[in-house]
Amino acid sequence: MKRLLQGVVTIWFIATSTFVAMHNVPGNPLLDEKAVSPEIRRNLEARYGLDRPVFPDQYLTYMRNILRGDFGISFTQRNRRVNDILREHFPVSAILGILAIVFAGFGGILFGSLTAVYRNRLPDVVIMVLVVVGISVPGFVFAALAQLGIVGLNEVLGWTVLPVAGWGTLRHLIIPSLVLGLGTMAFLTRLMRSSMLDVLGADYIRTARSKGLPPTRIFFRHQLANASLPVLTVLGPAIAAITTGGFVVELIFAIPGLGRYFVEAVQQLDYTVIMGTTVFYGTFLVVMVLVVDLAYALVDPRVRLE
Amino acid sequence: MNALLSIENLSVEFDTHGGVVHAVRDVSLAAYPGETVAVVGESGCGKTVTFQSVMGLIPMPPGRITAGEVTWRGDRMHLGRSAGRDLRGTEIGMIFQDPMSSLNPTMRIGDQIAEPLQVHRGKSRRQALSQAVSLLDQARIHAPERCAKQYPFELSGGMLQRAMIAMAIACEPAMLIADEPTTALDVTIQSDILDLLADLQQRKGMTIVLVTHDLGVVARVADRVAVMYAGQIVESGTVDDVFYRPAHPYTVGLKAALPARSIDPGRDLEPIAGTPPDLFAPPAGCGYFMRCPRAMRVCEGHPPDLVSLEAGHVSRCWLHHDYAADVSLDQA
Repeated sequence: MKRLLQGVVTIWFIATSTFVAMHNVPGNPLLDEKAVSPEIRRNLEARYGLDRPVFPDQYLTYMRNILRGDFGISFTQRNRRVNDILREHFPVSAILGILAIVFAGFGGILFGSLTAVYRNRLPDVVIMVLVVVGISVPGFVFAALAQLGIVGLNEVLGWTVLPVAGWGTLRHLIIPSLVLGLGTMAFLTRLMRSSMLDVLGADYIRTARSKGLPPTRIFFRHQLANASLPVLTVLGPAIAAITTGGFVVELIFAIPGLGRYFVEAVQQLDYTVIMGTTVFYGTFLVVMVLVVDLAYALVDPRVRLE
Repeated sequence: MNALLSIENLSVEFDTHGGVVHAVRDVSLAAYPGETVAVVGESGCGKTVTFQSVMGLIPMPPGRITAGEVTWRGDRMHLGRSAGRDLRGTEIGMIFQDPMSSLNPTMRIGDQIAEPLQVHRGKSRRQALSQAVSLLDQARIHAPERCAKQYPFELSGGMLQRAMIAMAIACEPAMLIADEPTTALDVTIQSDILDLLADLQQRKGMTIVLVTHDLGVVARVADRVAVMYAGQIVESGTVDDVFYRPAHPYTVGLKAALPARSIDPGRDLEPIAGTPPDLFAPPAGCGYFMRCPRAMRVCEGHPPDLVSLEAGHVSRCWLHHDYAADVSLDQA
C-alpha cells in the first residue's frame, strides 16, 4: 500500500515536471511558421485553456485530462490523438523490450553462473573481457556493427537470413532485441558472478552436498535460486535502462516503436506527444518497479512485507 | 568388532597465497558401530578438516589429500574430489556448527528434509514431505507440521539444529558426523541437543563422531576421545583414560584450564601459554614443544611417535619413551 502511494506521487511528480518543462521551452505551439486558422486556434485555446493563466487553470486542465487518460491531440500529425499513437506503437516497443529483458536476464544468469563456476579459468576470463566491452561500448555502436554483420552474412550466403532493419516478422526482432539487451546483460553477468561466488562458498551448499544430492540438483535448486535474487532486485532499473535504450535502437533499425515517436516529437516540439509519452513511460516504469518488488517478495520468503 | 569408518595416516594440505598449509598430518582414527567418538582440539587443529576431507566437502583445489587410506565397512574409499559421494546422506549424515547459515534460506524446512528422501529413496515429494514431518517430530520439534512449512529465518538456532538433525538422519545413516553441533547455541539448548543426539543414537544404533572444542561436551557424551593438536592426534583413548589418566602434556594442560567445581575454591584456571605452531611450516619435532612445560631437548628436533600405554590408550609424547625419566604428569 505504501509502495502504491509512493508510485502515485512519483507519477504526479513526473507529470508536473514535464508540464513545467514544456512551458519553459522557448516557442509557442500556435505561433510558428505553420499557418493555423483563427478558428482552429480559438478551439485549441478553449480546449486547453491556453487563453487563461498557466497556473492554476492550464495545469488543472492538464492534470484532469491525464487522470481521464486523455493525452490530447498531436500538434504535428494530422488527426492523431496521442492515445492512438500510444496504442499503436507502444506494443511494438514493449515486445522489443520484453525480448531484450528476457535475453539480458537469461544471458546474465547463464554467463554469470559460468564465470563463477569456472572462476579464474578460461571461460571466466573470456566472458569477463566481453562483459567489460558490453558495459563500456554504447548500444548504438553495437547496433551499427550488427547491421554491418547482417549485411555481410546475407551477402556471403546469397539470401536474406536476417533482415537489416524494419519490422513485421519474428526475424526482424532477433537482432534489435539482442543489441538492446546486450549492455544490461553484461551488467547482470557481473552481478550474477559475484552473487554466485558468494553462494558457492555458503554453508547451506555444504549442507546440500553433505546430503548427497547430485551436483545438478544442487546447482539448480540451491545455488541458482539463491544467487539469482540480487539479479531480480536490479531488474526494475534494468527495465528502465532498456526502455531508454530502446529509443536509439528503434531509430537505427527503423522500428515503428514509441521511442522513435518520442524522439521525433521532441525534435518537432510536439507538446502533447512529448508530455503524453513521458507521463506514459513514467507510469509504466513505476508499475514495472512495483511488479519487480512484488515478484521479489514472492521468490524470497524473507521479504514478505506489508 | 570391525570398524565402521577407519582413517589411516591421513594428511591434508591446502594451497593458499601464504604457502601450503599442512592442516592434517598423519591422522589415524577409527569409529566402531554404535559408539560415540569425540575429536577435541582448539580452533585450527585440523579436526574439522579431517572429516570434511574424507567426506569430500573441502574445496579441491586448494585442498588436497596427500596421503592416507580410508575404509568404510572395510571397503577402501576413493579420496578425491568426489570422496564419500556414495555415502553422503545415505550411510553418513552430517550436521554443522552454524545452523543459521547451514540451511537454504529460500527453501521451506520440510522441502529441505524431504530432499535426501526423494533423491536416495526415490520417494514422491508428497511421501517425502510427510516423512519429513515425522522426522521433525523425532527431532523433538513441537508442531512439526507447521515447522515443515516454515523458512529457516522464522526459526531459532536450536530449532534449526534440530531440523538439521532431522535432515541428517532422514535416510537412517549408520554414522552421524556432528561438527561442533552445539557451539553456536546457548547453554540450555546445547544440553537439549546433546540429549537428543544421545537418544537418537540409542534408538537407531548410530555411530556418532562428535567434533568439538568443548571438553565438557566430550565428558558428557563420548565413549572414546581423540585429542588433536597442530594437525595431529596427540592422545586418544576411552573417556576415562583421557580424563582421569591423561598422558600427554597437552591434555593435562587442557584439563588444568578447565573450570570445575573444584575442592579448592582458590584454585586459578591455568591457561596454556603461547599459541599453536604455524602449520605453514610444521615444526620438525613435537608440535607442542614451544608450549610444553615438560619439554625436553629431544622434543625440539624429533617428532614423537604414538606410544601405547594401556589397551586402546595412546599418546604422542617422548615422556613415554623407555629412556625418559619416570615423572608424574599431574604435578606438571
